[in-house]
Amino acid sequence: MKTRNLFLVVIGLVLLLESGARADGDDWRKLNPKEKDKIRRNYERWEKLPPRDKEHLREEWDRWNRMPQDRRDQLKQRFEDHRRGQD
Amino acid sequence: MENREGTPLEGACRNYEEDLVLYYYAETGVSERTMIEQHLAQCSRCRKFVDDLVRVLPQMAPKPELPQPFWNDYFRETVAKLDEQTARQNWWRRWLVPLNGWLVPAFGTVAIAVFAIALMLEKGHFKSTTETVSPNIPAEVLVDSNQLEFFKSLEILESLSTLEQQDRAQPERKSSHTESERGTQAA
Repeated sequence: MKTRNLFLVVIGLVLLLESGARADGDDWRKLNPKEKDKIRRNYERWEKLPPRDKEHLREEWDRWNRMPQDRRDQLKQRFEDHRRGQD
Repeated sequence: MENREGTPLEGACRNYEEDLVLYYYAETGVSERTMIEQHLAQCSRCRKFVDDLVRVLPQMAPKPELPQPFWNDYFRETVAKLDEQTARQNWWRRWLVPLNGWLVPAFGTVAIAVFAIALMLEKGHFKSTTETVSPNIPAEVLVDSNQLEFFKSLEILESLSTLEQQDRAQPERKSSHTESERGTQAA
């Protein structure tokens, strides 16, 4: 009886840890390699920015999130057009 | 009470009848036995009653006397059956007894390991883990969808003000462009 209970507890812990680890990394795993590479490059660049620029970008992020979806789409489209023009 | 020949047992003294039956079966105490024996020495009716008990009762409930060879065979057969049963039950236990101390924990560990590996293989956990390990990005960023989205949108954020200025300027340019077009068409 004691061994069986111990076995069940261990199985339960394994399942719990496995599901937790899976849930934690899900967003990152769902990204395609191109997106992952982009995030990695941007993160490295972000690391080297001075604190004032970091703070500014955080504020811009908050402002971006407060924008209506159509406005965001519009700006995103403009950004893509601009980038294609540069290429 | 009647014996087999139909001769009724003659009655003993009323006070002694029950005690005499117990006396016959030797189930009386020492003092009672002494008292009954003293009474038997004086009372011929009770003596006759005891004699009748000695004569009649063994015939009523004869003891089954089985011959000694029967008991010898019985003992031999019982021992043989027990040996056979013990041998039949324990052939596998003899193999498992040395493993008994660590068999259950070992089996449990192997089962857990197999289960965990099967679970990870089924969901492609190994592949994704090895492929997506990013030593440069801390885990707290990888697990936070908001942070991931932030770093994904970093370029837009950097040029957000410029984009907005362009967006404000563009309609003006567009409107002035259409006005000039109208002027040309009118001319």
